[in-house]
Amino acid sequence: MSALLLAAIRSRAALGASVAVILLAAVLAVLAPYLPLADPDAMIAVPYSPPGAEHWLGTDNFGRDIFARIVWGTRLALTVAIVSSAIASLLGIVMGSIAGYFGGPVDAVLSRTFDVFLLIPSFFLVLLIVALFGSHIGYTMVAIALTTWPRSARIMRAQVLSLKSRVYVQAARAAGASHTHTLVRHIVPNGIAPIVTDATILMGLAILTEAGLSFLGLGDQNVVSWGRMIFEGQRQLRLAPWMSIFPGLSLLVLVAAFNLVGDGLNQALSPQLRRLAARATPRKPVAAEPGDSVTGTDAPMLEARGLTLAYALDGKMLRAVDGVSFSLPRGGSLGIVGESGCGKSSLGAALLQVMAPNATLESGDVSIDGRTVLRDGRVVQANGRDVIADMRWTSVSIIFQSAMNALNPVMTVGRQLAEAYRLHKPAATQAQVDGRIAEVFDLIGIPRSRLPAYPHELSGGMRQRVMIALSLLHSPGLVIADEPTTALDVLVQDQILGEIDDLRRRMRLSLILISHDMGAVAETCERVAVMYAGEIVEIAPTDVIFEGASHPYTQALLAALPTVTGPRRELVSIPGETASLVNPPAGCRFSPRCTRAQDVCRSTPPPRVALGPAHDALCHFPGPERAS
Amino acid sequence: MRRYLLLRVFQLVPVTLVVIVLNFLLVHLAPGDVSIVLAGDNADPAYLAIIRERYGLDRPFLEQLWRYLVQVGSGDLGVSFRSREPVFAEIMSRVPATLLLVGTSLVISVVLGTLVGAWIARRPGSALDSSVSALAVALFSMPVFWLGLMLVLLFAVELQVLPAMGMASVDGPRDGVGRVLDVAQHMILPVLALTTVSFGQYVRLSRSAVAEVMSESYITTVRAIGFPERTILMHYALRNALLPVVTVLGLQLGLVLTGAVLTETVFSWPGLGRLIYDAILARDTPIIMGAFIAMSVTVAFASLLTDLVYAALDPRVKLT
Repeated sequence: MSALLLAAIRSRAALGASVAVILLAAVLAVLAPYLPLADPDAMIAVPYSPPGAEHWLGTDNFGRDIFARIVWGTRLALTVAIVSSAIASLLGIVMGSIAGYFGGPVDAVLSRTFDVFLLIPSFFLVLLIVALFGSHIGYTMVAIALTTWPRSARIMRAQVLSLKSRVYVQAARAAGASHTHTLVRHIVPNGIAPIVTDATILMGLAILTEAGLSFLGLGDQNVVSWGRMIFEGQRQLRLAPWMSIFPGLSLLVLVAAFNLVGDGLNQALSPQLRRLAARATPRKPVAAEPGDSVTGTDAPMLEARGLTLAYALDGKMLRAVDGVSFSLPRGGSLGIVGESGCGKSSLGAALLQVMAPNATLESGDVSIDGRTVLRDGRVVQANGRDVIADMRWTSVSIIFQSAMNALNPVMTVGRQLAEAYRLHKPAATQAQVDGRIAEVFDLIGIPRSRLPAYPHELSGGMRQRVMIALSLLHSPGLVIADEPTTALDVLVQDQILGEIDDLRRRMRLSLILISHDMGAVAETCERVAVMYAGEIVEIAPTDVIFEGASHPYTQALLAALPTVTGPRRELVSIPGETASLVNPPAGCRFSPRCTRAQDVCRSTPPPRVALGPAHDALCHFPGPERAS
Repeated sequence: MRRYLLLRVFQLVPVTLVVIVLNFLLVHLAPGDVSIVLAGDNADPAYLAIIRERYGLDRPFLEQLWRYLVQVGSGDLGVSFRSREPVFAEIMSRVPATLLLVGTSLVISVVLGTLVGAWIARRPGSALDSSVSALAVALFSMPVFWLGLMLVLLFAVELQVLPAMGMASVDGPRDGVGRVLDVAQHMILPVLALTTVSFGQYVRLSRSAVAEVMSESYITTVRAIGFPERTILMHYALRNALLPVVTVLGLQLGLVLTGAVLTETVFSWPGLGRLIYDAILARDTPIIMGAFIAMSVTVAFASLLTDLVYAALDPRVKLT
């Protein structure tokens, strides 16, 4: 965790500054009695002196030095912060652990207690406690802790719930460790990080609460408090504004520092937040050139040359698509297969230029329907608009995988289709919109009665059909289907694949089917491209791939495919892990897992070898599988 | 829907019970005689006797608790010993002023904060995002009472363009448009102080919610359909990001009310905060106890309301 914190500090200036502020405050607080400061309580200077050489921040109405009082005020602020949040966290850890660990009725009772206490407005309870018991700083700190502990308890409970099923915890229990021992030694230390993060936020809150109390006159009069200084300064606002300005600034800086540290820790501890913050620098668009638009039907439906897409991840570049080239004739169908993580979905997103924000197209040319949309990795623009923007959904659409997430959960499917239709046909009447949607629903076989349904009210297969209907709304020439059937059961998978194939033939669509499933691709596509570690390692007509695959990876994929009709044989899984896309192997990327690899494979990138009409492979030793 | 509503209303009960019992326990644990805590240090013997009788202070402990629960449950929060008025009436008379202040500031800060947060979430990690996010942290790290004083210093003392005290001018118009404008003018500074601090909260909240939604698959879908980025942000992402904003809105009402009390103190705004402040100065415990109960019930009720709004916004929540 400290290593993570250091890394986070290095990458974020605000976090570094905040840690410095807190350290400085701590040093001042500890050293206050030994510093050459005026006595903070001595009423000896000239009252109401403005800030100057003698009194840096001026003096108050009693002639006390404000700078000295601010330094001493740091002590109280930090004490309140540390003591209150320590009691609150401790109480939270204990109660949260008990609730999460024992579960059942214990958890039910404790969780309800946390919820109830969270609803109590802390400041008013603290106010009441201090009003009843007296303005002693000890009461204040305990009162703050008593009103904030349920926060920590809730976090700890969630942590314990997720930790208690882990293997090492189970192992400790099995080895005979007591409940207490398991909790204290194995669960709490591993679940404490978010509590620490939240404690920094609690510290800021505690400081502000104490300051607020002091400002209402409920502060401890025996200690120097910034809040109390503002309380006293309020009445002298006209005469001596510096009495209120400086303690307030100190509060602001210290509390902001705690909040920023909490923020930074949160970022450092949460991979998801880091992923959200990752972002690639966008490349400058280029203007369309005269030859960029080929009319007529000579041009292929889709042509990609040397397409390369990289993700920025924690300062490294991960090249998920690396120099991919292929071409798809009008009305043709191409399957792109490969294991998960081989870059096939990134390829689909890259073709429509709808990648994640941390992805960038490094190089390559793409043209769709005769129009160049990407040249040398740059977005092509015509008349100030991205060419691809005019083609999305009218010329090319995409069916995303897992339609549960690909459809908006808080909008009815009918409305989602209607809005998509209106976007490209702004002049359409309501009747035209309804008519077209009914048409595509009929086409896919979705009952029209499902229009007012929300995505979560539909079955997986129905949702996927809605997604397909959506993609056909504007009768595009090209549809990219990205794992359209992955989340579905086998029967529905076959139905939907059959429907896609049928539609393709009837509507003369060009289709790109992205899938990890060789079988699915074989049924639907005329050609197959096999991807491995960002590259197309073999591309050929479907029957050639199945009858005479030449790349060892393709052969391995086929060997992993179970057959119903063919002879019974052992299923072979491919040993090893897919190549790292951050540091790909020097030679052939498949060489570490390849049974046929020689020295040259490990040192030299393989050539693209043409093996027949429309068939090539990226391999040093392409050829039929040898009996071994 | 009806069952859901009943169930949620029923969940208000434990919070209210806990708050009342806490009140009761604290008064009994506090140093000094309970009757003096409730009647004030300078109470005459006759009044002390009335208070003892009223709360049954010579009865067994549990009977006292029961009496107190029944009393509070029937809306009787005791009597202020400063004004000798029922606490409930005192509190209710101050609600409109506080509601005006808190309501105005909440609406402004939620709307502006959500929009700004969504705007900077378009490019998480960009210079604009980092600087506005850091500024937002600075804003909600500010003690609201100090910000109020600084606003008074600038606009009322130095520039002398805005009133700094009270809700209306002493010699101002009593009714009609003049009255409205007068109050509006008095509202500017307190609303500005309160809004600035909670604005920071909503900027951050909406920023992280929108950034999260923008990374969802269905946003990629509408992007692929060809919707322009502005439409995606304002129409699709913001609507879905409102869900967490609504949740926190309810949970954080306690903080907003805290800010309101402190702000009212600075500006002598005649609301609940001012009532509490005066009660503290006069050690008028029944008022402070009553305010605690009132604030807790308000927050619990607000959380109920936000749950209902959430259910209305998110079709996935089943109202059973």
